[in-house]
Amino acid sequence: MSTVTQSSLHRDTKGSKIVRYSLIGLSLLFVFLMLILPLITVITEAFKQGFAVYSKAVADDYTIKAILLTLEASFFAVAINTVFGLCAAWSLTKFKFKGKKILATLIDLPVTVSPIIAGLIFLLTFGRQSPIFSLLQDADIKIVFAVPGIVLATIFVTFPFISRELIPVLESQGTDEEEAAALMGAKGFTIFRRITFPHIKWAFLYGVVLCAARAMGEFGAVSVISGHLRGKTNTLPLHVEILFNEFQYVPAFAVASILVMLAILILVARSVIEHKGRKK
Amino acid sequence: MYVELKHINKHFGNFKASDDVTVGIEKGKLIGLLGPSGSGKTTILRMIAGLEHPDSGEIIIDGKVINDVPASKRGIGFVFQSYALFRYMTVFDNIAFGLKIAKKPANEIKERVHELLELVGLSGLEKRYPSELSGGQRQRVAFARALAPNPQLLLLDEPFAAIDAKVRQELRSWLKGMIQKLGVTSIFVTHDQDEAIEVADEIIITNRGRIEQVGTPYEIYSNPKTAFTASFFGQPSIFKDYTKFRNFESIENIDNAVVRPEFVKVTKKTEVQKYSKSAEEGIVEEVNFRGFGIELRIRVNGVVLTARRSFDEPKVEVGEKVDVFLYQLFVTEGNEARLLKNQSLREPVVVI
Repeated sequence: MSTVTQSSLHRDTKGSKIVRYSLIGLSLLFVFLMLILPLITVITEAFKQGFAVYSKAVADDYTIKAILLTLEASFFAVAINTVFGLCAAWSLTKFKFKGKKILATLIDLPVTVSPIIAGLIFLLTFGRQSPIFSLLQDADIKIVFAVPGIVLATIFVTFPFISRELIPVLESQGTDEEEAAALMGAKGFTIFRRITFPHIKWAFLYGVVLCAARAMGEFGAVSVISGHLRGKTNTLPLHVEILFNEFQYVPAFAVASILVMLAILILVARSVIEHKGRKK
Repeated sequence: MYVELKHINKHFGNFKASDDVTVGIEKGKLIGLLGPSGSGKTTILRMIAGLEHPDSGEIIIDGKVINDVPASKRGIGFVFQSYALFRYMTVFDNIAFGLKIAKKPANEIKERVHELLELVGLSGLEKRYPSELSGGQRQRVAFARALAPNPQLLLLDEPFAAIDAKVRQELRSWLKGMIQKLGVTSIFVTHDQDEAIEVADEIIITNRGRIEQVGTPYEIYSNPKTAFTASFFGQPSIFKDYTKFRNFESIENIDNAVVRPEFVKVTKKTEVQKYSKSAEEGIVEEVNFRGFGIELRIRVNGVVLTARRSFDEPKVEVGEKVDVFLYQLFVTEGNEARLLKNQSLREPVVVI
């Protein structure tokens, strides 16, 4: 009696075989069409005219400069957002203060604002029309159409990634362990190093990886503020666009394949971190 | 007095957590801070520890005002409700943490940790992580960790709340014995009246941020001074007009009468009752099995009283007419309580 009801219940909740297989099949088909096929296209197009052409496109001076700039912008974005993310996540979860809700909402703003708008904001804030432009010029600081602008735009776009990973973990931990450590005489940094950090380590690394991935791929905001100066303010995604617009399809796909490989590398890092984090 | 609180006030927003709290605690005593949730007992504990700061008033430990002494310098051991064990450290590192912070030499730390592990009966488990321990073992680790730096005062926040009922019973007597053995002045917070009565040398009753009464468990139970204390213990039946019950002194302006189950004697019509002359007739409304005996709900003189009978007495049925005799009751006026005894207890007994 009980086995009958159990198996019929199982069928009710999980659906029949036909439903199951068609759902799985549909998902796989979708992933193939939307993700795998484009990836294969990128790689095959990149190698269409042989490895020599590919390596020439990749070893091109402008490509190398674009790679370095992308890495530089990503590095600064990750470093600065790490500091900010830790501070924001810590203060939002451990302290009570006025405007806490507003801060929590504002952190998410970069995700909801279109990257183009983000680029425009910086263009208008630091560009020629801005009241502070003359001040910047006097101090000989170039932001718009220069590397600092690209870094700023990248930071803006990847702003919430680390803090958003940390907040739920810190929230679930509560403040008891920190209080216990403080009662025993531990100071702020010791508490962070010995108590808090071991707890948030995996979430933190995960946030860093996501942040880095997003920073490398950023196009919209950077595109507006960079000025597309080849060899100076061209990041990898921008470089791909330029090559493509110049009908240099093989080099365009070759450079794109670098970004794809970086993405796959990050994906692997992500699953390793997720796996290790879950084991803990 | 070893610990003294003088006119402590504390607000959280509009909520008054402490309202002119003044109380003293003797050295070496095990004190239970007892009250319903939201009565301000944990706030008092956290203020003594230095985890919260009073809006006004003085906290004095060992003759010194410590309001401005940081929590880490007060020499207090604190056991958290959830134990707050460091989950990424072994049992050994948990207990050693405070000693390492105090920069004690490594061999001294090792010796002390092993001494404490032996004391709490967890020798051999020092390499385990908190997640690999049972609830009772975790509590023992938390206790050992709090004791490691030799505190003069031990504070425990709901120390038994997170443990299942069977182990809780065992841990209560273990903790009481341990604290008595060490002689460390201890204050524990609880909302469980049985726990406070069983474990504490002295109970401080809190309600709505105020101290209601301080005394030994026996004093507080048998001689409540406030309406709140009178109705907090046991499973009291509370009703307005007690004068329907005969043989009680009549007092003007009484708010409520409080009757605990043990004040009520229920006898079947066929049983002999010493005071049957002054007993009232009641009707049994509910008969419930309670493990320790039978619990009855009886309607008498328009009120429903809770009473108990033991297994060796003849069974009582729902709807049965029984004799109900009240030995005593508490009457309250404002927040004051007093005890009234049934006057027929004093009269010479006439057996019919």
